Amino acid sequence: MLWVVGACSPAPIPDDSGTPPVIEDTSTVDPMPTDTGTPAPLDPDALSALGVVLGFDGSTISYAPGVQVYQIATPLFSDYAVKERAFALPEGTTAGYTASGVLDFPLGTVLVKSFLLPADLRVPTDELTLIETRVMFLEKDGWDTWPYLWNDEQTEAFKAPSGTVRPVTVTGFDGKPLTFPYLVPQRNQCVDCHERGKVEARHTVPIGPTARNLNVGGQLADFAAAGLLDGLPPDDQVDAATDALTLVGVDPTTLDDATLDSAARDYLDVNCAHCHNPLGTEGRSSQLFLNYDNDDAFNLGVCKKPGSAGAGTGGFTFDILPGVPEESILWFRLQTSVVGEMMPDIGRSLVHDDGVTLLAEWIRRIDGVCKADGS
Amino acid sequence: MARLTVALLSLALIGCSPEPDKTSDPTLVVDPTPDPIDPKEPTDTEITCDSVDRANCVEIAAGDSAALQDAVNTLEDDSAIVLAEGTYVLDNQVTVRGSDGFTLIGQGIDVTILDFSTQMTQANGVDIVGDDVHVEGFTIHEAQKDGLRIEESDGVVIRAIKANWENENDSTNGAYGLYPVRVSHVLMEDSEAYNASDAGIYVGQCQHAIVRNNTAMRNVAGIEIENTQFADVYGNHAEDNTGGLVVFDLPGNPVVGRDVLIRDNTIVRNNRENFASPGTTVALIPPGTGTFAMASRRIEITGNTFDTNDTADIALLSGFIVDGNPASWYVPNADLIGDISGIEAELFADADGIHTFRTFDVYVHDNTHAGSGTSPYLDIVNDPDNPANVFGLLHLALGGPPLGNVLYDAIGESMFSATDAVGNSNDNRICVVANEGVNLMSIDLEAIDADINQYGPRGDVWISEMLYQPAAPFAPFDCVGPALIGPDSVDQ
Repeated sequence: MLWVVGACSPAPIPDDSGTPPVIEDTSTVDPMPTDTGTPAPLDPDALSALGVVLGFDGSTISYAPGVQVYQIATPLFSDYAVKERAFALPEGTTAGYTASGVLDFPLGTVLVKSFLLPADLRVPTDELTLIETRVMFLEKDGWDTWPYLWNDEQTEAFKAPSGTVRPVTVTGFDGKPLTFPYLVPQRNQCVDCHERGKVEARHTVPIGPTARNLNVGGQLADFAAAGLLDGLPPDDQVDAATDALTLVGVDPTTLDDATLDSAARDYLDVNCAHCHNPLGTEGRSSQLFLNYDNDDAFNLGVCKKPGSAGAGTGGFTFDILPGVPEESILWFRLQTSVVGEMMPDIGRSLVHDDGVTLLAEWIRRIDGVCKADGS
Repeated sequence: MARLTVALLSLALIGCSPEPDKTSDPTLVVDPTPDPIDPKEPTDTEITCDSVDRANCVEIAAGDSAALQDAVNTLEDDSAIVLAEGTYVLDNQVTVRGSDGFTLIGQGIDVTILDFSTQMTQANGVDIVGDDVHVEGFTIHEAQKDGLRIEESDGVVIRAIKANWENENDSTNGAYGLYPVRVSHVLMEDSEAYNASDAGIYVGQCQHAIVRNNTAMRNVAGIEIENTQFADVYGNHAEDNTGGLVVFDLPGNPVVGRDVLIRDNTIVRNNRENFASPGTTVALIPPGTGTFAMASRRIEITGNTFDTNDTADIALLSGFIVDGNPASWYVPNADLIGDISGIEAELFADADGIHTFRTFDVYVHDNTHAGSGTSPYLDIVNDPDNPANVFGLLHLALGGPPLGNVLYDAIGESMFSATDAVGNSNDNRICVVANEGVNLMSIDLEAIDADINQYGPRGDVWISEMLYQPAAPFAPFDCVGPALIGPDSVDQ
């Protein structure tokens, strides 16, 4: 399999806080890669055999020529892991622009997302350990998914259908050792987040690379200029999710209402709406729809009682009690890390303090009064 | 109508409503609690790949959890996984996705054990989505969330599975023991559930279900049939739960429950304190409940043994008991799942949807009752919003005789009379046959609710005006219920 050449890979940016790490760009600008003959299998046992991710030198992930690293505007919180994403298009193909949903990727596209943990959460650029790389590739039958786990030597990643739960210890924001179970999901857990559509037509999709979430730092225009993206409308016609980096170190109480609302809704969209959407299993069960384009306040949780939240209610009545984050179930489930209470229920075991603070201020500014009997 | 509220009573009654003593029943013979993970003798016949009829099969060595996880994460269609005698310690759930035709079989309850007690993820024990699923012969121990969850499947057999949590009365235990949800054609049999903080044995949002010969003990809801169509529930044992065997619809759920036959079950001593998390539906179940049907229709309850359920053996309740807002019970036609033919005219339909709060066409007959209703739930101090407190207050007002074996809330009736059969409309067609040992109370709960709000507790008025205790044969409730439609045969 051959990959078209893209623009230079920008440096990866930590998803959660801090300055972007300086990671050397190892991709080369080569518009016409040479054909090496035999296509690699899309799920080889060793990741390097896929021909997309080549290696890791302790600070920099190196990619095959033509592999395009990309950023997303508002990322999913993943226990303060630094995440680096890249796509590889088959030779001679481009992705098509779509106004909503994931870009229209061509058959044979490979997406990779690597998770690195810093030794000290306060310095997310240094002493990185590459834990896992998740691979999605688009075949005739749709997207397939495989987890790869990096070895201790950091020289190769191997296909790990069962994932792992690995206790890790880092230095926390308070300077003290922080130990938590880091989950590399099983292959069958991929669909917990990556499945879309009605019951009879469930299919696996990527989540991050939508136009509105890629529309950051002139990235879409760069892709178009590099011949990786077709059909990009003029800039003012492309929606943009909140660039989370603009919120780093910003007190949410100082944000104007519109900025705060966008930031909170984009946070909910990325962190929750993969399940909490009108077609998702949990979305339908709970009637809680946190997708950014849901405009129904009740389904957004305002004065809505939960269906079967179990211990996740925290003893509170409403998903969102306007003006009172401390009595809102949505806030409660984000600020806890107790198994059985917390949300999202996969992919985190720590509390994302900045996210909690953001949503607390958002709920505080919601107007309304809930009637106790739900009428 | 607002949700029934008795909160105003709480202050008025402090000092005159002693907490009923539920601990000292000299007639009670309590079985010693079995140790739930005592290893049992393995069966004579070892299950192997030769025992199962699937195109692909793998046998997993005792304790090799990694091999088990690799196998389920690389499954093809039509595959079986055979577990050995022994314990598999798992730090993440056993997840099956995208494979139709799947068998997971062990050597028997407490012979093969999947132990999730050190699970670090917020996940279920065994979690399966796929058609044609067969799960048999093992114990699921200490799952963080649900023990066995099978979702959005067609054709499910659950046989001889035990879901267990060690701690009693612990709201941090997993929610559901055995949990097929949104399944068509499910057989659940010979299985067990202990100490679940929601329902032990659950069948929900399903069509065509057979639930038989299962045991549920020390759960909040022992056996729960929720939003399910065409179910035959028989030969089960529900003991020492908060509520024994319950049938209900949740507000707004798109599967309208109907045609549920509850027969030949043992539903006894369900007096356990309610340890569900606040905010859950089952947190409203009063201790001492044998069976209730709420927001349900076409229900037959027959041949069951009820004994020493302290609040009541059988309660027939409108959905307004838990949510008095009709809009909460609205289901748009476009969302409906399953079959409402023949009942749609009874569901307060408008052009675009229906309402599901109403309970009607219930037939209760030929059950045996003993020792129940002697100490009904009453806790208006700690649980003021629980409508069940009305039953307890009524019990006090009556001077303490057992409540009826069968309680009916009369919500939605066009006529109620405390004295005359002809003054009770029985629009909901509640039929209770006066066989040996049965008594019936029809309680005008709406009127009591209004009365409380206006006057506070007035037990004498309630008894004279809002309680109908007919003598046998219980006219106008001396009717015969409809013949139910049974489930399609489930592949066994």
